[in-house]
Amino acid sequence: MGAVYLIALIVAAVAFSAGGILIGKLLNKGSKNPQKGEPYECGIAPIVSPWHQFNVGYYLFALLFLIFDVELIFMYPWATVVKEMGMVALVEIVIFIFILFLGFLYAHKKGALKWM
Amino acid sequence: MLNALLLMKQELAVVAIIFILLILKLGKDRSNVTFLNIVNTLLLLNVVAGFFWNSEGVLFNEMFRTNPLMILEKNILSLGTLIISMQSYSWLKTHKHVPEFYILLLSTLLGMFFMISGGNLLMFYLGLELSTIPLAAVANFDLTKRQSSEAAMKLIISSAFSSGLLLFGMSMLYGTTGTLIFSQLPAALNGSDLQIFAFVLLMAGFAFKISVVPFHLWTADVYEGAPVAVTSYLSVISKGAVLFVFVSVLYTVFKPLAGAWYNMLFLLSLLTIIIGNLFALRQDNFKRFLAFSSIAQVGFILIGISGSSQLGSTSVIYFVLIYIFSNLAAFGVVILVSAITGKESISDYKGFYKTNPVLAWILTIALFSLAGVPPTAGFFGKFFLLMAGAAKANWMLITIAALNMVISFYYYLRVVKAIFMDKNEQPIERVAMPLMPRLALYVCIIGIIATGLVSYVYDYIHSLTAPF
Amino acid sequence: MSLVEIIFWFLSGLALISAIMVLLSKNPVHSVLWLIAVFFAISGHYILLNAQFLAIVNLIVYAGAIMVLFLFVIMLMNQNAETEPRSKSTWIKLAGAIAGGCLLIVVVAAVRDSENLIQNIGGKAYAKTAVTTHGEIGLIENLGRVLFTQYVVPFEISSVLFLSAMVGAVVIGKKD
Repeated sequence: MGAVYLIALIVAAVAFSAGGILIGKLLNKGSKNPQKGEPYECGIAPIVSPWHQFNVGYYLFALLFLIFDVELIFMYPWATVVKEMGMVALVEIVIFIFILFLGFLYAHKKGALKWM
Repeated sequence: MLNALLLMKQELAVVAIIFILLILKLGKDRSNVTFLNIVNTLLLLNVVAGFFWNSEGVLFNEMFRTNPLMILEKNILSLGTLIISMQSYSWLKTHKHVPEFYILLLSTLLGMFFMISGGNLLMFYLGLELSTIPLAAVANFDLTKRQSSEAAMKLIISSAFSSGLLLFGMSMLYGTTGTLIFSQLPAALNGSDLQIFAFVLLMAGFAFKISVVPFHLWTADVYEGAPVAVTSYLSVISKGAVLFVFVSVLYTVFKPLAGAWYNMLFLLSLLTIIIGNLFALRQDNFKRFLAFSSIAQVGFILIGISGSSQLGSTSVIYFVLIYIFSNLAAFGVVILVSAITGKESISDYKGFYKTNPVLAWILTIALFSLAGVPPTAGFFGKFFLLMAGAAKANWMLITIAALNMVISFYYYLRVVKAIFMDKNEQPIERVAMPLMPRLALYVCIIGIIATGLVSYVYDYIHSLTAPF
Repeated sequence: MSLVEIIFWFLSGLALISAIMVLLSKNPVHSVLWLIAVFFAISGHYILLNAQFLAIVNLIVYAGAIMVLFLFVIMLMNQNAETEPRSKSTWIKLAGAIAGGCLLIVVVAAVRDSENLIQNIGGKAYAKTAVTTHGEIGLIENLGRVLFTQYVVPFEISSVLFLSAMVGAVVIGKKD
């Protein structure tokens, strides 16, 4: 039964990480002071909240990454069947990649891949 | 192979146009006017080619099917897109992202084509997504206006929510029947509670897209914020496409559940007509006004669908065709005026006749057709819809619908009165009509008059629809 | 109760609790972290259904890439605990609870009802819901075979969808 090993693994994983935290809590004689909560314990005190509005450029990068991520995921099942399906599968994936490649060229031309 | 390509000719044509635009964009910079001329020529070719080499068939395990009725529906949508594209000439001439606008717009058109032709719920779902996600980007095309971004945000969130409902319904349907293929579903539907529940969710998803009350809350805000060209596309083309699919899905796939959906349609259509009309009475912004008027129109279409007869599907397709012409004529005038003067409220249109007699007459004819005043096609469209609905002998529904038609006369004629009779210190100045918008408006007017009077159009649609 | 059932209930409970925590967390970043827990639980369900490939894809795409997008959106909109809107009035909460409860009752009743409808196929009793015990479809070869024959049109269309998503994002994101 593989399930037994699975459960054992889950339990072991949870126990391992929870145990580490627990031991840390037990052994540590914590001292509480306001400086502990700051981003830098020494140096200049921060004057504004670290919550800032991000530039939209990050989102653009993440979205482009996501699209090509999904493209690659489509290629895994393709790789397993390309031998038995032959030419047809090749043509299909080439069309798929070509369309996305056009999008990539577009993004490149618009300078979306340049940093800011 | 050649046969398969011929069956998918309309889809392939749209894909080809998208690629041509993308490659042109990747090449050297061209002026907007060149681009607009190229695009409009290509769209015209697309419409013309749509009428030739028609064939019928099924491809890829019923993933894709086509028949003359679907081809006609796609041609109607292509024609509408061409008209909108010509009307928005003045707006796009100064815009910075013309090719992108068309790439996104045409991807939605492609999505609608696949949605209409899909013979599988998955295919339908993918088409629906492809026809809404790029639209949200296009709704944001007034890049400097905050309101435009708000419209895009509201559109994408409400459409994501509705696709969530739709997917939930689809998964339950698959769980109870074990198939997603349209031709196999009717035999597997036995009307069990879970299937009815799944169907209610599917219905809610559809209702969101065609903005049926109580799923209409996004409509007015999105219509108001989006650029006028996009608003007219949203209210006419995307709504029309979903309506086409809605009719065919209800009449074929969910035929075994006809008793259940008749009751739903009855309630929804009453709510939609009444609420759409009551809110349209109070609007001053022209786009909001047209938004609520389009909600009320959808209510009438639902009455036609509830008739569940061949007359039902014929009258719906016929009405959508008329609705495209009338709404596009009204929007065409609003697009022109808004692109040049930036004025969008009804009170600005007071004394419009004094300065722009031709546009005033076009707007008046369009509003008459939307209201359903006899010589225009709108009258015949609504008449056939009510006839189809009357087949069920549900007199309460028909009476309330007829009463609401009278209410709708009031608010449409209020606009006409403002145009012709009211005095205004600063009326809208004279608006020049470039060749393309003028042509598009004339096509709409010819459509409004001819579709009603030439009985061949109705007969042709009737010859293509399947008996219930 | 077999082991598979124990795992099923554990994963379902985990998914539900995490999903509720997504809604209850005041800090949107915590919501995102709970959502990752939901995705892990759902990936576990995929493995139970013998769909290993889908489980891994779910982790890579949803828990990996889409969560990054979520975080960027939160940072982009500058949402944090201080800007959270005040909680709604009790009436709205009550109405929401009643509506949600009604939905739950309807779903439970509908599902129970469909379980009672047993049909007889070839001497064996099946529930009238589709049988999903012989799940080989989630294996990568089967998926590939179906994806590139029967589902090739949706596959190619999805590339157009990606293309338009890319174009739309670039146009809106690059305002120059």
